[in-house]
Amino acid sequence: MKYDQADLREALAASYVLGTLRGAARRRFVRLLSTDRSLSPLIEKWENFLTPLAARVEPIEPPERVWRAIEARIARSQPLAQPRKAGWWDSLAFWRNWGLAATGLAAALMIATIVIKPQPPADSAMVAVLSTPENVPRMIVEKHAGMLKVKVVKAWASLPENDLELWVVPKSGAPRSLGVVSHARDSEVRKGDLDNLLADGAAFAISKEPKGGSPSGAPTGPILCSGAIAKMPVRT
Amino acid sequence: MSDLAPDAQRLAELLARSGLADRKAFGELYALTRSKLFAVSLRIVRERHLAEEVLQDSFVNIWNHARDYASAKSAPMTWMTAIVRNRSLDIVRRTGWEFQDEDDVMTNMLEDGSVPLDDAFGMKRDAHNVHRCMDELDAEQRQSISLAFFHGLSHSELAEHMRKPLGTVKTHIRRGLMRLKECLTHSKEQAKVGT
Repeated sequence: MKYDQADLREALAASYVLGTLRGAARRRFVRLLSTDRSLSPLIEKWENFLTPLAARVEPIEPPERVWRAIEARIARSQPLAQPRKAGWWDSLAFWRNWGLAATGLAAALMIATIVIKPQPPADSAMVAVLSTPENVPRMIVEKHAGMLKVKVVKAWASLPENDLELWVVPKSGAPRSLGVVSHARDSEVRKGDLDNLLADGAAFAISKEPKGGSPSGAPTGPILCSGAIAKMPVRT
Repeated sequence: MSDLAPDAQRLAELLARSGLADRKAFGELYALTRSKLFAVSLRIVRERHLAEEVLQDSFVNIWNHARDYASAKSAPMTWMTAIVRNRSLDIVRRTGWEFQDEDDVMTNMLEDGSVPLDDAFGMKRDAHNVHRCMDELDAEQRQSISLAFFHGLSHSELAEHMRKPLGTVKTHIRRGLMRLKECLTHSKEQAKVGT
């Protein structure tokens, strides 16, 4: 392949960052970047070398309309939880955005069907596909008799300092902890009062917490993924 | 980086909170960085409406990818500046260098050497190093790298502007970059030994 030589890769990374790599060559290089992971550290190195030159550019104030346009555009996008004083779970908009939307739910059911098909759980009455703010499905939660199965669609990067905690979010009120789950393997959650905890549950969410889970009983870390609960027909 | 300057620390916090959809933090991040980033883009795209477009696209991008910053090994301002520069270089479509603006370019180049580094958001030490290393280059290497970096000139625009054959300009750039790399790698290693 053409870009294998170390010198050439270095030269391309440098001229990409400097800006002399232009037009079709630049676009080709950007495409290459997305497939060839080993180029990223080179780019990062050259960005750290050259970008600080910009520290000496005299600031120029942009017009107010730029911020208004940015605000309008990010209002349409739907990133993560709204961290409000009352807690992200109180935000109705949050849950609307998070999988309650028809498309999200349809996709969730489709994925659930695909994943569940090989072994149809006889007593699974609820299922949720937990996706990131970028709509990437990461975990699936299924209800079985007396327990929840938490399946990992795509393993999380190892979290030596943290644990993942599963929450059920009721239609109103604060989330209830269902305990810590594995970031890399499928887990089972067994709790005596599981049915009570899940009563009027609207969604599941996974938050990043200190080792051992949230010390306060409420989510403290960022919500990594969440998804609305879909009721599945019970098989007999 | 463990030795972030307070400003860089603040920007890193604001980025982290933006990653959690904190619009207030994101607004503050914008307020702190907009004029620097706008200026960086304006140098390259050279038309205000294009620079506005770049700033807008870049901040939407920053909002969407703020969570990725955690895994970047750069100062926050470096990370954001790179986004703005890339977007600027993507959209700039000049067909030729306009010579009537030469004075403008020269004035800007003077400024680039004279603006103090006191508000560089944690790029200060890195900026100090790269400027010191730039000073060690031959005048023509320094000039061509500055014009490319600050003003987004392509190889052929540089050749036209510097009235040199294309091959010569490419050589200036290539050798200049390699000397910069040696100098910067050396100062990084020294910084490690020194601390």
